Amino acid sequence: MARVIGGIGASHAPSMEHVYDAGDEVREAEEWQPLFGPFQEVAKWLEELQPDRLVVIYNDHMDEFFLNAYPTFALGVADTYRIADEGFGARPFPPLPGDAKLGWHVARSLVADEFDPTICQELEVDHGVISPLPMVDFAEGEGGWKIPIVPLAVNVILHPLPTPRRCWKLGQALRRAILSYPEDLGVVVVGTGGLSHQLTGPRFGAVQEEWDREFMRIMVEEPESLCELTHEELILRGGTESVEVVNWLAMRGALPADARPVVEAYYPHRIMGYGLQAYAVNGATS
Amino acid sequence: MSELTQDYLDRLDRVQPKNLPGDLDLFDEETATRGIRLNKAAYSLKDEAQRTLFLKDEERWMAQFELADEEKELVRKRDWIGLWRHGLSIYVMVKLSGVTDTPLPEIGKQMRESGGK
Repeated sequence: MARVIGGIGASHAPSMEHVYDAGDEVREAEEWQPLFGPFQEVAKWLEELQPDRLVVIYNDHMDEFFLNAYPTFALGVADTYRIADEGFGARPFPPLPGDAKLGWHVARSLVADEFDPTICQELEVDHGVISPLPMVDFAEGEGGWKIPIVPLAVNVILHPLPTPRRCWKLGQALRRAILSYPEDLGVVVVGTGGLSHQLTGPRFGAVQEEWDREFMRIMVEEPESLCELTHEELILRGGTESVEVVNWLAMRGALPADARPVVEAYYPHRIMGYGLQAYAVNGATS
Repeated sequence: MSELTQDYLDRLDRVQPKNLPGDLDLFDEETATRGIRLNKAAYSLKDEAQRTLFLKDEERWMAQFELADEEKELVRKRDWIGLWRHGLSIYVMVKLSGVTDTPLPEIGKQMRESGGK
């Protein structure tokens, strides 16, 4: 049977893409080492863990989904995922490998559990997936992407949004889906987004370091308590766009309660509070 | 119209922020409704042919969408605050800022000076 062998919470942002795409010199420069250094540690950890699949819980930024039909949850059931053109030309990555069979299994299991995602046989992924992913899952040159993914998108843009509790339960249902998959696969669940940022209005650029650090502590020690918060409370603490952290909450819901971070970093920089956590699961490592 | 029932109001509390200060905004019914034309227009810029048309003939590009005159004027003026106030989502706005070569910090500067909605 498939197993959940780890979890990753990571910010996503176009800024991370600009730094990555600028090459080693910029990535390794002092300015970005507080974030890119820890990402390298996660890449190393993942290399040792050797997961067979990544389930990536993220949000789209009106690059695949638009206001004509905006899904609350959307699940990829494809064998390959193209990179979305977000308005500047798509980044020059090959399409990401997927796992349609696992995707369909997750779809059936979630729907049986009364979660009803939009089921996508085609899905272009945007920076919600591919700003953090190359740092941990891409070999430059011939190698390309290493681990097939199943993307799961959550609406954090067009209110009403699914509640934090709903996202936590989605993670729990995702866990049941993975554990019931008959193939012996090691799966790492990834949740992307946040932490604090505010991209509209006079508070543009506000970063809430104190809350971000508290959020990361709660994620480790008492994640379910975040279900008590409303979107309003999340927005007041971290800014309008910080509600993306529900993607982390869903990831954490898919992990056992005693999962603990092996890599952890927080870097408040420019207009973002960047966060990163990689969770080890007991008994999953060799 | 009858008054809203208590059980609905209780459910609403779980999803609808009600007490946000004026400088923290939401993309919700009101914004999505107000902004649908501008969002449709700017969303088209995901497509390279639309970006080419925009750069070649902005007026012809705009004519494809049912934009109000006021909305067209906001696009012409690169009035990011005005566009925001008219319901253009920040995620769609960046597609317009991209094609017009406007760096995000410039939008940020206008946002910070805007004094709210």
